[in-house]
Amino acid sequence: MQRRAFLGDLIQGAVAAVTLGAVAPNVGAAPGTQRYLRPPGALAEDDFTAQCIHCGQCAEVCPNRCIRYFGLENGLASADTPYIIPREQACILCMKCGDVCPSGAIQPVAREAEEILERVHMGRAQVDHRICLSWQGKTCGVCYRACPLPDIAIRVGRLEQPHVLDGCVGCGICERSCIQIPQAIRIIPDRRGTPMSSA
Amino acid sequence: MLRHLNKLRLVTLTLIFAMLVLLPFLSIYQSYRAAHAYDLLAPAEQQLYDAMEWLTEPFTDDPATDLDALKGTTWSANVFGLKLSDPLALAGQIAAGGRVYGPFLLSALIPIVLTVLLGRFFCGWICPATLLYELNGLLSRWLRALGLRSPTRHFDLRFKYGVLALGLVLSMFTGTIFFALIYPPAIIGRELYYAIALGGFGAGAIFFALTLLFDLLVSRRGFCRYLCPGGALYSLLGRYRLLRIARKVEQCNDCTKCDVVCEFGLQPMRDGFGQECNNCTACMAVCPTDALAFRFSLTDLPAQGAGHLGRTHLRHGAKSATGDN
Repeated sequence: MQRRAFLGDLIQGAVAAVTLGAVAPNVGAAPGTQRYLRPPGALAEDDFTAQCIHCGQCAEVCPNRCIRYFGLENGLASADTPYIIPREQACILCMKCGDVCPSGAIQPVAREAEEILERVHMGRAQVDHRICLSWQGKTCGVCYRACPLPDIAIRVGRLEQPHVLDGCVGCGICERSCIQIPQAIRIIPDRRGTPMSSA
Repeated sequence: MLRHLNKLRLVTLTLIFAMLVLLPFLSIYQSYRAAHAYDLLAPAEQQLYDAMEWLTEPFTDDPATDLDALKGTTWSANVFGLKLSDPLALAGQIAAGGRVYGPFLLSALIPIVLTVLLGRFFCGWICPATLLYELNGLLSRWLRALGLRSPTRHFDLRFKYGVLALGLVLSMFTGTIFFALIYPPAIIGRELYYAIALGGFGAGAIFFALTLLFDLLVSRRGFCRYLCPGGALYSLLGRYRLLRIARKVEQCNDCTKCDVVCEFGLQPMRDGFGQECNNCTACMAVCPTDALAFRFSLTDLPAQGAGHLGRTHLRHGAKSATGDN
């Protein structure tokens, strides 16, 4: 009798879990309220959640400690998956997380400008001209000086006004270093991610 | 000799758990090193820095990069360039993504081969949750000494295979590796990292606390016995394992100590090991007559009847001896 009741409870729980799973992406925070990046070399979003085993090694190896983990706030599917909020701590493109990742969710990418440019697609910077000091006539240029890929990802024009170029991989160091509050340059996440290498 | 293996096992479990606690500290220390900012650290952080420096100085001149050689948990680890992953993670990933990722398959290969040969040894010898569950069992015994008896309900041991199957189906439907949310060793490694390096426990810690309560209030070692999907997978992989514990019937005196001590509710005294046995050797450690030993074989011995040193055998054995004459 006890056992039957217990089994019944478990089955009920399982059914609840299935229904929860089906709507999981919409549970918790409304989608789009959080703007986060995946680590460099991460697969496209759907592939990423299917591939990531939630082991936590990417943050453990990150020397800059920019990688955090979701709780349940972004839905069940992305619980315990890594993300980066560049304004808080941006990625320095050291590419250690891709080397340590066992599951292929973060693809290994060599730490060379060419390969990073070709394979890393975390997002792309976007300048808000209404907030940007340089665009308001007060020469700044901090984002350009902070960028690890200057003149490839970003260039400056008259009065150090920043122009984002196609080479931007979305590491977020410009957003992190922007001296305006709120920041005048933001990374818009690119959910296409890195294609899986044919390894 | 063999009876001391259980102590070795407890030492191994403790060391592995200690490593899981140490690694997050080392990771923090690495980031301090990389930042070159000792003077800017708070006093408590400086203490951590000094302690870790003292600990790692004999082994490395460049901790910021050299310590990358040791990362991860029992769920998935990087050990000096060798990647090792839990077979359950592989199963979950194949279910969730519908494809096999070669490098990940390779990383799970060594554990799979070891499990095929040694059976469910991970559960007894490596799993960080096992240490906590066994301490939980100790707590249960102390409570019993105080007069608070924990109930020991029994369910069907096959229930965990259902959990494994359900987990695979859920992984398929949700497109995420569901086991990582409910599998204690994965939770513990991760949560220790969260608590030490990221400043607080996550949701997994609550789930794990519930499994501890389940063991304490419903069924002894209930999670491992009846619910753990990892245990289910290893039981299946280790069904035809090579290394088994077997009873030497000539030396057995039917004292039932092994049946009582077995965390998994198996019956060594009745030769009932089966695929659930994880070779933890706790039964060997309590056997007063050293009647339990390892045996290399693909199958268990069939039931051998009463031990030759026990009363039943001495009485009936004597009868049959006279009958033969």
